[in-house]
Amino acid sequence: MSKITKSSTAEYFAKNLQQVGFSSPLKAVLTTLKEAIDNSLDACEQAGILPDIKVEIAKVGAGSTKNTDLIKIVVEDNGPGIDADDLAKVFGEYLASSKFGRGQCSRGQQGIGISAATTWAQMTNARGAVVISKTKNMRKAVSAQVDVDIKSNTGIIKNKESIDWTKPNGVRVEFVMDGRVQLNGDGGLVTYVEGTVLVNPHLTIEYKLLDNDWQKVERVSNEVPELPPATLPHPHTFKLGEFITHATLFGKTSLSKFLKTGFSRISDPTINDFVKNGLPKSLVEKPVTSLSEENFKSIFTAIQNTELMAPSTKSVLTVGEDALSKSIQRLGKVDFFSVVTRKPRICDFKPVVVEVALARFIDRGGETDSPVQLLRFANRVPLQFDKSGCAITGAIESVNWKSYGLNQPKDSLPLGPYVFAISVVSPFIKFKNASKETIDASDELVDEIRKAAQQAGQKLSRHIRKEFKEADLERKLAHIEQFGPILVEKLAKLSGANDARRKKAEDGLRKILGRDSQEAISQLEDAETKLNKQKQREAKKLGFDLDEMSADGAESFSEMDSNESVDKGTTKATTGTSTQIGTQKTTEKTTEKTTEKAVASTQKSTTIATTQKSTQKK
Amino acid sequence: MAGGGLLRIRDLKINIPKEAKALADQMLKDLENSKRPYLEAVKTSLDNSFYNSKVGYLTPGDKRVRTELNVSSVQKLARVVFMLEILIRNLDIGAVNTKRELYYICKGLIKGDKQYKPLDFEDQVESDSIIDFIGDMMQVYREELNCFANDRGGQTYSNQLIVEETMADGSIARIDLSSLGTSPYMPKNKPQSLKLKVKKKVDFALVIESEGTANTLHTMGFTKRNNCILLGAQGVPSNGVRGWCKLIQDQLDIPMYFFGDLDAYTLQNIFRTLKAGSAASLIRNADFSAPEVKFLGVLPEDVKKYDLFCYNVKESDPAEARSLKKARDVLENDPFFIDKKNKGLSDILKWLLKEKIRCEQQSYFSVDPKDPIKTEKIILEKIKNKSYV
Repeated sequence: MSKITKSSTAEYFAKNLQQVGFSSPLKAVLTTLKEAIDNSLDACEQAGILPDIKVEIAKVGAGSTKNTDLIKIVVEDNGPGIDADDLAKVFGEYLASSKFGRGQCSRGQQGIGISAATTWAQMTNARGAVVISKTKNMRKAVSAQVDVDIKSNTGIIKNKESIDWTKPNGVRVEFVMDGRVQLNGDGGLVTYVEGTVLVNPHLTIEYKLLDNDWQKVERVSNEVPELPPATLPHPHTFKLGEFITHATLFGKTSLSKFLKTGFSRISDPTINDFVKNGLPKSLVEKPVTSLSEENFKSIFTAIQNTELMAPSTKSVLTVGEDALSKSIQRLGKVDFFSVVTRKPRICDFKPVVVEVALARFIDRGGETDSPVQLLRFANRVPLQFDKSGCAITGAIESVNWKSYGLNQPKDSLPLGPYVFAISVVSPFIKFKNASKETIDASDELVDEIRKAAQQAGQKLSRHIRKEFKEADLERKLAHIEQFGPILVEKLAKLSGANDARRKKAEDGLRKILGRDSQEAISQLEDAETKLNKQKQREAKKLGFDLDEMSADGAESFSEMDSNESVDKGTTKATTGTSTQIGTQKTTEKTTEKTTEKAVASTQKSTTIATTQKSTQKK
Repeated sequence: MAGGGLLRIRDLKINIPKEAKALADQMLKDLENSKRPYLEAVKTSLDNSFYNSKVGYLTPGDKRVRTELNVSSVQKLARVVFMLEILIRNLDIGAVNTKRELYYICKGLIKGDKQYKPLDFEDQVESDSIIDFIGDMMQVYREELNCFANDRGGQTYSNQLIVEETMADGSIARIDLSSLGTSPYMPKNKPQSLKLKVKKKVDFALVIESEGTANTLHTMGFTKRNNCILLGAQGVPSNGVRGWCKLIQDQLDIPMYFFGDLDAYTLQNIFRTLKAGSAASLIRNADFSAPEVKFLGVLPEDVKKYDLFCYNVKESDPAEARSLKKARDVLENDPFFIDKKNKGLSDILKWLLKEKIRCEQQSYFSVDPKDPIKTEKIILEKIKNKSYV
């Protein structure tokens, strides 16, 4: 028989780095950057600091492995800093985390990521993370290299020294590793940075990617998101084994006390309900340490068979529509956009909140016949790989976007130059893998994302419909101008009619088609009214002064989609608030255009006559 | 038609230029009165198709497609009158063109006058649909508008048949098919205008789905041994083939048989079109179908009798799945297959749906591979035994 050996957690991950986002040189760079920024943002949030993050990524030579470059990744923050004694744990030990399983919506959850980055750097470049850290209480900063001792899963500190650092507090971490850099596209660094910027309105980031110039994106919110307190687990999310292990953490407490303090939504009356559903009464006050496996089984079954209040939704946090609306403008010049923040919901007994931002940019590429750019977020971290397997992608594909005016091939993402940003926040997001690239799709979660997307789609459709009507009117007016004269000319020629008849026919044609264009104009006006009305309602909701908004739009929303009133999430779709200057201009322009067109239609009728006259002369 | 009901035309009793003038005049009158002029055409679809076995082909019902002038249709109407003018001119001077040539004539005219630029056709499909609409609207054949397609199929072999064609200069071209060797005679354009003569009484005409097989039979002496006309359909019969079969049926009054694959596609697309026309060509079926043609095979009974090699129909194959779906559909909705007179044919369709197999015409060559004329023998035996539907 072969010898059974025991390996450390570090050994396991060192051999399986692909499971945590290091499956290719390309992903190694992105994952490292992501883990470092996640840690910085989480740390700043916990300390109530507005984050200022500086990122630099550069090629510094050829990689040791085939087809790779040696890449330097530096992330520097103004966070609270890490105590010198904790550096080894943070950067060099797996599963050493302040966030593991505590039920908060922080970006990091397990304490794997940054240690994996250290391992990758160590494996490809024989040097782990180089860290500078300073807390408020430190006079000088500490600088050190942290490696992972793979055999024992502990961090090793090397070259530790005290240095002068101008920052009052913060961390600078540097990795030099084999990798490859992709800037654009789904897995690109720019896409990552933009995504992070979008869902972190309070972030100021300065970055230099390869040979590009330094870029700085300023924060648009001065509020540090308050991370809601951790929540106790809901008993219905547990499996029997987990339940027993959970009990052992409580030592010699009674079962009733264990249930009441170890879980949310359990009180004395609930315990009575458990008893009614088969929990032996004799066990209620027994210490959990004395319970047998059989006892646990019957307790667990009784709990599962009892209806409980759904878990509290207080543990989730949102970016918020207002902040998202401002933040989205940092990605480029917005043509129009719509933002929806749903109310927190319970999906699979876990609180979840979904936020959606749909936008069309003026200056960003994107063909009308290529799919929209989908940005996925889980706990405010961009998800950039394995798009097809993700609950968010599935939900977006299942929405019928055609009804909102977008083209969409069957069971696919809609088409057009749009950015769809979908964020899912939950203290217990179920990922498909440890590298947190895709969210596992449960029916309830997909349905919730769908609802959010549909709500945002409804708002978007008003803009699209107005544009469509505009184009329709333009096309119709052009048609009259272009084809009317030819039709009359050819009919007159075929029938051998004289000039008098021809003139009369021209007048008749003008009358007929004039009626049609009037109809198209009124349809456009109708669409505009509805859009303005929507903007007014949103402005009212956000407390803007209605009088400052455009005055028209007093009609009722007769064709408002019916499920809109059912969905209770708050929504905001916009081109009209005082913060969205770019879009406001578009609206004004359109209103002017319509008036011009109405005038033009009369003028164009005259054009027909003029053209006719000139033909006659020929 | 503009402002009034459809004109009853056929037998080319109408004067097309005169009709076109009346139509334009009516449309102009409507415009003068600020009324919306409209164009009407027969609705050419299955739901407007009727079948009476005594008539023998699919005829149109009362449904019409109406295009009324509005901002959206003004482009189509302008294109229709633009194209109509070209066609009338062609009739006037006796010029003929294919659809593609007309497409380029339009492009040339548009290039020559900036005013016409908005009319420009992006591809031939657009100009074709305008030509078809004009035909349906005036209830005239495309050929009557001097517009001809390069019709395929109809390669004909016979030792008895003589074809006479009156040429544009009035001279008569006389073609003796027996003098063509192994090459076929091919009717083109307006086969209905040809005159047929026979040297000796012809017993039957045999239309074969595969032109290749028709040529094999001829080369192996089929037309020498039999007083017959042998022709290849080359798939779904073109206007040329359909008009040619109609002509043979009318002028020679001989039994006509069709020999093709035993599958749903052959029955509903090829044979039905040859015998009764199609829904798309409702206004032309009278002159483009041969209602007397019989389905000689391959019949389901032949499969058993000659132990013919068959293929399983794979429903995973999109083309075959579509064909089966259509077969189910025609059994319910196609007046031709619903008619009791054609029960024999619909029974074959039902059999095909049930058995999910298909048998090709060439499988007769597997019956006695050593006998090069075994297929001929089976065909003759079937005709003799009246083994057809």
